[in-house]
Amino acid sequence: MLKKQITLEERGGMDTARFGFFMILPALVLLLFIVIFPLLSSIYLSLSEWSPMTGGGTRWYEAYKFWGWLSNYWNILRDVEFLVAILRTFVIVVVVVPVEFFIGLGLAFLFRESFWGKKVFHSIILMPMMIVPAVAGFIFYMLFQGQGPVNAVLSGIFSKEVSILWLQHKVSAIIAIMIADIWQWSPFMFLILLSGLMSLPEDQINAAIILGATRWQRFRMVLFPLMKPVIVIALIFRGMEAVKIFDAIWLMTTGGPGTATESISVYMYKHGFKYLKWSWVAAGGIIILIIITLISMQALKPIKEQEEKEA
Amino acid sequence: MEEYIYMEQKLYVKALKFALIVFVTIIFFFPIYWVFTMAFKPFPEWTAAGGKIYWFPNNPTLDNFRTIFTRQLQMNPLAGTAIRPVINSLIVSIIGTGIAMVVGIFAAYGISRHKAGGNLPFMLLQLRMFPPIAIIIPIMIMWAFLRMIDTWYGLAIIYGVVTLPFSVWLMKTFFDDIPKELDEAAIVDGCSNIGAFFKVVIPLAKGGIASTALFVFILNWSDFLIALILTDRRWTTIPVHISKLQSALVGALYGPKAALGMIAAIPPIVFGILIQKYLVRGLTFGAIKK
Repeated sequence: MLKKQITLEERGGMDTARFGFFMILPALVLLLFIVIFPLLSSIYLSLSEWSPMTGGGTRWYEAYKFWGWLSNYWNILRDVEFLVAILRTFVIVVVVVPVEFFIGLGLAFLFRESFWGKKVFHSIILMPMMIVPAVAGFIFYMLFQGQGPVNAVLSGIFSKEVSILWLQHKVSAIIAIMIADIWQWSPFMFLILLSGLMSLPEDQINAAIILGATRWQRFRMVLFPLMKPVIVIALIFRGMEAVKIFDAIWLMTTGGPGTATESISVYMYKHGFKYLKWSWVAAGGIIILIIITLISMQALKPIKEQEEKEA
Repeated sequence: MEEYIYMEQKLYVKALKFALIVFVTIIFFFPIYWVFTMAFKPFPEWTAAGGKIYWFPNNPTLDNFRTIFTRQLQMNPLAGTAIRPVINSLIVSIIGTGIAMVVGIFAAYGISRHKAGGNLPFMLLQLRMFPPIAIIIPIMIMWAFLRMIDTWYGLAIIYGVVTLPFSVWLMKTFFDDIPKELDEAAIVDGCSNIGAFFKVVIPLAKGGIASTALFVFILNWSDFLIALILTDRRWTTIPVHISKLQSALVGALYGPKAALGMIAAIPPIVFGILIQKYLVRGLTFGAIKK
């Protein structure tokens, strides 16, 4: 045993750091290639007032001729549409993620027990998260039409004609988008929370039962503490992805009516590719990168701590 | 063991729970049912414009599939057939997956065994949090400069980068599971570092590699935004093509969109069910071990 250790040190000790570096080199090169240029040119563009319309086609490098210092930042931070899009995105995340969490948690508890056809039900409930998000958007576009199935079902329940134009009204359009997202991603929470529940040590739960703990006590004192890392990661991950919401919105409402369902991504896409305000969008991008970096540094802390605990 | 947890349950409680499960499953399944049946409905049954909603396809037909795969100018003069988008999606997703996997496997091994890269894993996670739209315009400029817009490699490279965080994190958890002693033993027996990696570690991680690759493939296959921006005509992918299936006469082409949507749904559902238990690890960055 001792001999093995020594030979390893001798053989591998010298070049192991270098070997590790060579292993991560391709990833570093790829990241630098994709991140550095876009970041620098984003900053450069954002400080000018250049756009393909004003600046003659694609000669973006001549943006210095339209230099504007911080004018874009100053203006976009006063643009109500931009600020509301940010706010709206965070509202969507704050509503949708907890709802998905509780639906997923409820389902996970139901699926802990064995019952007839469990495998089939399990697979069916997981299906929505496998659907391509753009297709999911189109499905819900169909469902929420004025004469679509949702209204037909509501008509049946209330036994009178319901014909809400879901996607044409500001509030109902947002609700429809949230429902689409909840439909697609509750299964994700379910999948993760169920595997979290199943991996819990059963003897601890049984011990609690034998000691006479009530259901609520069992949940609060045994299940919840054991599940906490899984719950935290599921919430962070879902939150991370929900901030980027675009596909479903674009297929359902393209941000409309008016600007009522614009998320950050939809706002940026519209201004970048419909109105061709490139330097404007570059400034918006930098602001968003700063916000997300600040949030992610906080949000990723739990994952980091867990990694360090294991190491 | 089981009895302890569940013994106090009465029969009616069980029945109620089962009813609840059936109800929820129906709700979750209905949208999929709707798109599935829509793919087989003829034009008059697409919407309830005629005053009647069609819960089942009354006259099931394959016309929608025929429409998307043959050029019918009156239906969608701009979009062309869906043959290219299907092939494009396959090519670009597979190559993007290849890039993410090769680069990711090396990096993950370096991180797992040699603690290389310091903060790299967390930088990757942060990268994943950024909305791609925030830096897509400079990337577009860069791609235009390199003449990589609307090419398979242009799209595949971006896919490789965007999914790299997943391949690195997943492969890292798989490598962490393989005892260090095995590659150390191989090195003692005269293997080089890289030899131990290829001859000992890779064969042991085969299952992990396969499931990671399928997972990354699903992510690439599902992308809409990046393909929408970085492709134009020749290399549009399925999701982009679906969004463009409109006609001046009847608006959104429900049937053809649904038909293509179904085709798009098949690989992720098949692969997803196949790798269910690995999926959990991928989606939690390895927090759940089993």
